[in-house]
Amino acid sequence: MSGIYLDHHATTPLDPRVYEAMKPWLTERFGNPHSENHVLGRGAAEAVETARAAVASLIGAEAREIVFTSGATEANNLAILGAARFLKDSKRRVVTVATEHKCVLESCLSLRDESFEVVVLGVRGDGLVDLAELERAVTPETALVSVMAANNEIGVLQPVRDIAALAHAKGALVHTDAAQAVGKIPLDIADVDLMSLSGHKIYGPMGIGALYVRRRPRVRLKPIFHGGGQERGLRSGTLPVALCVGFGAACAIARVEGAAEALRVAALRDRLQAKLLKAILGVRVNAVDAPRLPGNLNLSVSGIDALQLIAAVPDVALSTGSACTSADVEPSYVLKALGLDEPAARASLRFGVGRFNTEADIDRAVALIATAAARLRDTSRVAAG
Amino acid sequence: MPRMTFIDRDGSRHEVDAPVGISVLEIAHANNIDLEGACEGSLACSTCHVVVSPEDYERLTEATEDEEDMLDLAFGLTRTSRLGCQIIMSEELDGLTVRLPTETRDARAD
Repeated sequence: MSGIYLDHHATTPLDPRVYEAMKPWLTERFGNPHSENHVLGRGAAEAVETARAAVASLIGAEAREIVFTSGATEANNLAILGAARFLKDSKRRVVTVATEHKCVLESCLSLRDESFEVVVLGVRGDGLVDLAELERAVTPETALVSVMAANNEIGVLQPVRDIAALAHAKGALVHTDAAQAVGKIPLDIADVDLMSLSGHKIYGPMGIGALYVRRRPRVRLKPIFHGGGQERGLRSGTLPVALCVGFGAACAIARVEGAAEALRVAALRDRLQAKLLKAILGVRVNAVDAPRLPGNLNLSVSGIDALQLIAAVPDVALSTGSACTSADVEPSYVLKALGLDEPAARASLRFGVGRFNTEADIDRAVALIATAAARLRDTSRVAAG
Repeated sequence: MPRMTFIDRDGSRHEVDAPVGISVLEIAHANNIDLEGACEGSLACSTCHVVVSPEDYERLTEATEDEEDMLDLAFGLTRTSRLGCQIIMSEELDGLTVRLPTETRDARAD
């Protein structure tokens, strides 16, 4: 019996069509895209530019506004450090949110060593940013406001357009980490100045991502890598052609199929949620009142340790929270920011439904999890008795 | 005639005549200011990069896309960077002050 993969926030399987597109660039077509003197190099450069256009097209940007990076973590670092350092002579404040991905929080916090004032806003019980609080936090001295489009644990969709309008009114740049959102929900590039993307969250390869850098009006960054000046000087280093091609192919698929897929995945997620609520007593959905990603479900099972439950269902791949921190003993800081107490946070599971899941997958996962939860409760009752 | 000031890399100030209709690059050359201008004002390099004082920056007409593209490649770019060849002197710009950056780069040499 094969496993059921319900951890699509951590990563997604490579789409077979993406793999086919990448193959030639991993084998016979090996040119350096920056070698313009021979046909192998020029072919690679053309493939990279086709991929760049596909990435741009998914978010409605121009190809020239896309800077390839090694992933969303690098894109977030480049956006935050790059923008802040470019503006540091006139602006020394950065505003972000407690539920951001670690790489955004850590990038922002590292700016304290460079004499920046870093403001980390809390969130409301539903996981959304309080706009009035944000408006107070953003001052004319604010270089950058960074708020994610969709959360990687609770799937909550932040009101990026409203946040951007408030921030722009104070003259601040706006960055959004859209690693989880792109290809899954509509995003309007016109709202933001900088947007981070990731390949492996949209059925593309790991090791590739991109930063959208607005050209009109021009957004400038101080590069964090020094070298040959590739990617308009913003990101030195030879581009990985096969990964760029794969990322482009994944974006092209998402552009065509994303809307229909979102409906199908949301229906599967709703089925999962309804069945789990019916099959297990004491299930509470986290951040249930906010708009969420189509495939996301984060819930706590009262009185059950989530790690024990996950261990008891080896055929179902799911997690307690962010994959980066799933080795931590501490429960999720995102759930704590919502106001969950420690027992509830420790009892929380994160499901991520995706492209290749079926109704049969969902039904079988629910059966396995419900059985395991009942067994764990019996065991703890026996132990208590 | 309007006047303008160049602040050299060593911090020394040179106030010079700035005839209307002439670019900052040409004014620099006429006064032996060390501003390169490798492409002679054809928007193919960023070697005439100058840093405009923040007050003066607001007085300039906005940079074109082509100028912004070349500025992307300039070393030591700042928020008030412009290309000297694209700032054309006018009566309104009397008193303009620009600083020469410490590094330049010729995109044609890449």
